[in-house]
Amino acid sequence: MTVFKTSMRNFFAHKGRMALSAIAVLLSVAFVTGTLVFTDTTNATFDQLFASTSPDVSVKSKNAGGSQNSAQTGRIETVPGDRMADLKRVKGVKSVVGDISTETVTVVDRNNDDIGPSSGAPTVATNWDATEFLSVDVSSGHQPRGPTEVMLDADTAKNKKLKIGDELRLIAVPGEFRAKIVGLTTFKVTNPGATIVYTDTDTAQRKLLGRPGVYTSFALTAQPGVSNDQLKKDVVAAIGDGFKVQTKAEVTEEGKDDIGSFLDIMKYAMLGFAGIAVLVGIFLIVNTFSMLVAQRTREIGLMRAIGSSRKQVNRTVLIEALLLGVVGSVLGILGGVGLAVGLMKLMGNMGLNISTDQLTVKPATPIIGLVIGIVVTLISAYIPARRAGKISPMAALRDAGTPADAKAGRIRAVVGLLLTAAGTVALVAAAKADKAAEGSMFLGLGVVLTLVGFIVIGPLLAGLVVRVLAAVILRIFGPVGRMAERNALRNPRRTGATGAALMIGLALVACLSVVGSSMVASASEELDKSVGADFIVQSDGGKPITSEIEKAVAGAKGLDHVSHFKDIRDAKITTPDGKTTTDNLAASDPTLADDLRTPAVDGSLADAYGKDAISLPEGFAKDHKAKKGDTVTVAFKGGRTAKLKVAVITSDDTSLNKGAKYLNITTVERYVPADKVPADLMMLAAAKDGQEKEAYASLKAQLDRYPQVKVRDQTDYKKLMKDQIGQLLNLVYGLLALAIIVAVLGVVNTLALSVVERTREIGLMRAIGLSRRQMRRMIRLESVVIALFGALLGLGLGMGWGATAQKLLALEGLKTLDIPWPTIITVFIGSAVVGLVAALLPAFRAGRMNVLNAIATE
Amino acid sequence: MTTAVSIPKTGGSGGHTAVAARARQVVKAYGSGETRVVALDHVDVDIARGQFTAIMGPSGSGKSTLMHCLAGLDTVTSGQIFIDETEITGLKDKKLTQLRRDRIGFIFQAFNLLPTLNALENITLPMDIAGRKPDRGWLDRVVETVGLSGRLKHRPNQLSGGQQQRVAVARALAARPEIIFGDEPTGNLDSRAGAEVLGFLRRSVDELGQTIVMVTHDPVAAAYANRVLYLADGRIVDEMYNPTAELVLERMKSFDARGRVS
Repeated sequence: MTVFKTSMRNFFAHKGRMALSAIAVLLSVAFVTGTLVFTDTTNATFDQLFASTSPDVSVKSKNAGGSQNSAQTGRIETVPGDRMADLKRVKGVKSVVGDISTETVTVVDRNNDDIGPSSGAPTVATNWDATEFLSVDVSSGHQPRGPTEVMLDADTAKNKKLKIGDELRLIAVPGEFRAKIVGLTTFKVTNPGATIVYTDTDTAQRKLLGRPGVYTSFALTAQPGVSNDQLKKDVVAAIGDGFKVQTKAEVTEEGKDDIGSFLDIMKYAMLGFAGIAVLVGIFLIVNTFSMLVAQRTREIGLMRAIGSSRKQVNRTVLIEALLLGVVGSVLGILGGVGLAVGLMKLMGNMGLNISTDQLTVKPATPIIGLVIGIVVTLISAYIPARRAGKISPMAALRDAGTPADAKAGRIRAVVGLLLTAAGTVALVAAAKADKAAEGSMFLGLGVVLTLVGFIVIGPLLAGLVVRVLAAVILRIFGPVGRMAERNALRNPRRTGATGAALMIGLALVACLSVVGSSMVASASEELDKSVGADFIVQSDGGKPITSEIEKAVAGAKGLDHVSHFKDIRDAKITTPDGKTTTDNLAASDPTLADDLRTPAVDGSLADAYGKDAISLPEGFAKDHKAKKGDTVTVAFKGGRTAKLKVAVITSDDTSLNKGAKYLNITTVERYVPADKVPADLMMLAAAKDGQEKEAYASLKAQLDRYPQVKVRDQTDYKKLMKDQIGQLLNLVYGLLALAIIVAVLGVVNTLALSVVERTREIGLMRAIGLSRRQMRRMIRLESVVIALFGALLGLGLGMGWGATAQKLLALEGLKTLDIPWPTIITVFIGSAVVGLVAALLPAFRAGRMNVLNAIATE
Repeated sequence: MTTAVSIPKTGGSGGHTAVAARARQVVKAYGSGETRVVALDHVDVDIARGQFTAIMGPSGSGKSTLMHCLAGLDTVTSGQIFIDETEITGLKDKKLTQLRRDRIGFIFQAFNLLPTLNALENITLPMDIAGRKPDRGWLDRVVETVGLSGRLKHRPNQLSGGQQQRVAVARALAARPEIIFGDEPTGNLDSRAGAEVLGFLRRSVDELGQTIVMVTHDPVAAAYANRVLYLADGRIVDEMYNPTAELVLERMKSFDARGRVS
C-alpha cells in the first residue's frame, strides 16, 4: 500500500516530466484505436448498404464474377428474361423483379467531364424497378420513362452541380446515348460514394446491355414465413444449377469480401505504422524513466537504507509506469475516436462518405488500446526499474550532485557489432540471391538485425558520430558549440536512444525513397528500351475500351498503326508435362511485336501472332518442360478448347509485362464467341515518322469525348508512373510521420529532462556570464546534433536497405539503382530544422531560469 | 541603527577609484503586507579596491543576499549599487550578464565547475564565452599560483574537493575581473584544504592586487580578510579591520549574546 502511495506521489510530483511520455503513449494508442474504429465503422456502413440493396434471394448468371471484372472487359453476364415466369412459380416466392445493374458505363456531362466519383467508387447504371425502393427514395422529379430520361442520385447531383433538366451522355459498351435528368434519388442509408444513374428497364436492356429481354439478375422476395435459405433451395430445385443463386446473407458476404479485403489491407498497413510509432515511443519512455531514476538516486538509496527491498523499489517505478500507461491509453482511446471521426471527414472530402452516426466502437477496441498502452509502458520501464532496484543504500550517503555519466559497456559493443555484422551478411546474401523468396527472407532478416544492431551500438555510434558532426558543424559556434557537443556526449546511452528513435522512421523513409525512385528509373529505362509504341491508350478507372473508342483512336491522323491489347482471363493451359495451369493470356495484333519488344530466347517474337500460335515465357516453359514447336492445349473461358503451337519462348529478363503469354486476337476469336471476347485493356499506337506531334494532338482531340480513357506518349507515361509512385510514397511518408513525430517528442523530452537535470550548471554558467541567447543556442545546438545523429544513422541504414532491396528486386526487373539525393538531403536538412524546433521549449525554459534559484537547487 | 561605512574615493591599488563597489540605501524585501520580509534594510557599504573584505553574520542576516545584490545576481527593491562607476541597479539582463562575464568573478560554495569541461577549459570559460583570448602569461601565473599545473587536463570528477575549489579560484582570477565574489568558498572543505584556498585568495590580493568580497560564517576564514563587515537583520552592525580568528569569534559571541537578550 505504501509502495503504491509513494508511486502515486512521485507520479503526480513529476507529471510535467511524464507529459511527453504520456503523449507518446496517447499518440500510439490513438492511432491503433482510430484505425479500428474507422475500419469498423466503414465496414458497418457497407454492411448496411449491402443489406439494404440485396433482395432476399438473387439469381445471376453462373459466370457472374466480381463487378471489377465486367467493368474492365465490357462483357456483362446476363440471365434470360424468359426464366422469370419459372421463378414466379416457385413455392414461397412473393415477387420476382428483373434487375439490370452494370459498372461498365461512363456518364459525362455536357463538358465531357466524367460525373463519376474520383474516389475509386464505381459509377453504377441500373434499371429503375421496385427493388430500388429498398435503399432510395425519389426525392424530386419522377422516375425515368423512355430512352431519353434518367434519374441520378442526389449526392452526385450536388457534388457535380447537376439539376433536373440537365443532359447527360451515357457511354455504354453497346454504344452511347443522351438522356435528360428527370428525377433525383436520396439514399435511406449512407451511400459511401457511388454515382448511380437509373434508366427504365427497356432502355437498360437495349442501351446498356445491348440485348433486349435479358437481365443481370433476378431479385426474389420471399413470402412471409419462408426463410431465405429455404427459398434458395426451392429456386435451385426449380431452375437447376445453371445459375448462381444467393441469399441476402451470401450477397452481403460477397460484397463485404470485395470491400473488406481492401479495408483489411488499409487496416493492417495503418496498424503497421502504428506499431512503428509504438516502437519509437518505447525509446522515449525508457529515456524518461532512466532519467527519473537517475535523478532520484539519493532518494532511492535512502529508501533502501531505511529498509525498502529491491523488489519494492522496483515496484514503485513499475507502478508509476502503470499509471502513465493507464492515463496515456485512456486519453489515447478518446483521441482515437476523435481521429476516426477526423479521418471520416477527410474521406468525405475525397468522396467516400462514411456517416459518423454509425460510429462503431467495438468492445474489443478500447481493450486493445488499453492493453497496448499499458504493456508497452511497462516493458519500457522495466529496465530503468531494474536499475533502480540495483541502487545501493550507499547512494544515499554519496554526494551525487549530478547522476554519474552512463558508460557504454563492452558487452553492448560486442553484441551490437555481432548483430550488425550478421545483419550485413544477411543483406549481402539478399543482394546476391537468385531466388526472390530466399532473397526476401534474407532481406527481412538483414533489416531486422542491422536495425537492432544499430540500436544496441547506438550509444557507441553516438560518441563517434557526434564528434564528427561537432567537428564539422559545431566548430563555427566556438565555446557554445563545444559545450553543446560535450552535453550531447555526456550520456551516450541517452543520446543513442533518442537518436535511434528518430533513426527508425528516417531509415524507412530513406529505404522506401530509394526503392521508389529505383522503380521509376528502372521502368523508364525499360520503357525506352522495349516500348516501340509512341502512344498508350488506357482507362485509369478500370472502364472498358468500347468499340466507339476503338474507332475514335483509329480515326486519329498521322498514325502508322494501332495495336489492340486484350487480357484473356482464366484460360486453362495444359502443357506437355500434363499439368494444367489457369492463367491470363495477352491477345494482340502482330504489330505489338514492334510496340512491345519483349526479347525472345528461342524464335522470333512476331511468330507468336501466327495462326494458332502462342508464346511462352522462359520460366514457365522451363517449369513445364515446354519448348518451341510443342503444342499446348488452351481451354478459353466461355469458349472452346484449342491446340496452340508454341512459336516462341520469350525472355523473363524484362519488367514490362513479364511472364505474358502472347497470341493473336484472331486466334482467340476463332475459339471464343464474339460477345465473350473482352474489350481492349489497352491500345498501343505508333505515329508515322515525323508526325508524332500531330498524331498526339489528333489522338487527344479524338478522345476528348471519352474522359474515362487517357492517351499518353512515352514522356507523359513516365510522368504518370513517377506521379503514381510519388503519391504512394507521400502516403507512406504521411503515415511514417506519426513515428517521426513521436521521435521528435523524444528529442524534446530528452532535452527538457536534461535541462531540469542540469539546473545548477545552467545557473553557474549564467552567473559567470553566459547570456540567455548563448544558453539557448547551446541547447539548440545539442538538439540539432542529436537530430542529425539520428538522421545520419537512419538515412545511412535506410539507403543500405533500399540498395539491397533494389539488388534483390533486380530479379523482378528493378534493374537500375537510383538514389534520390534531393530527398535524402532534404530529409537531412529537415532533421536539423526539426532539432531546432524540438529545442524551442527546453531552450526557452533554460534561458528563463532564475540564476539564484538555479544555483540554490540541490 | 544604520552604520554607514564609507571609504575616501581616492588612493588604493590599481583601479580607477579606491572603491570597487558601492551600495547606497539598498533595500531587499520579499513578499508584501503582513508577510513582508526585509532581507536588506537600507544598507550603505563601500568595498575597497585591492582589499579582501569578508561579510559575516548569523543565518538569515542577509549576508548572502547582500553579496548576490552586489554581484548583479539578484535585483534590489530600492537603492543603488555601483560596480566602479557603473550603476548596475536597473540594468537589463543582457547588460548584467555582460557585466558579470567581463568584470566580476565568482566562487561558489559547491558545484563551481562544469562536469563536461576539464580544469583548463573551466578556467578559461568566462573568456571563451566572451570570445576573448586569455592572456597566456597571466593564465600561466594564475595556474601556477593556485598550484594546478599538473592537473589542467583533468575533469572535475577526477579532482578532490580542494582542487576543484582551486580551479574555481583560478577561473575567477584568470579573467582579471574587477571584483571576485566568494559565497562561502571553503564551506565544503576540510580545514587543510580550506586554508589552502584561502591562502591563494589572500595571495591574489597581496600579489596580484585583486579585490575580493567573501561571505563566510567561519571566523578562521574571516581572519584572512583585511576587513570584516558584520550583518544582522539586514543591516551592517559593525566592522573590524585586520581581524584575527579570536577577535572575530569574540565579536560574534557578543552579537549572539545580544541577540539572545533582545
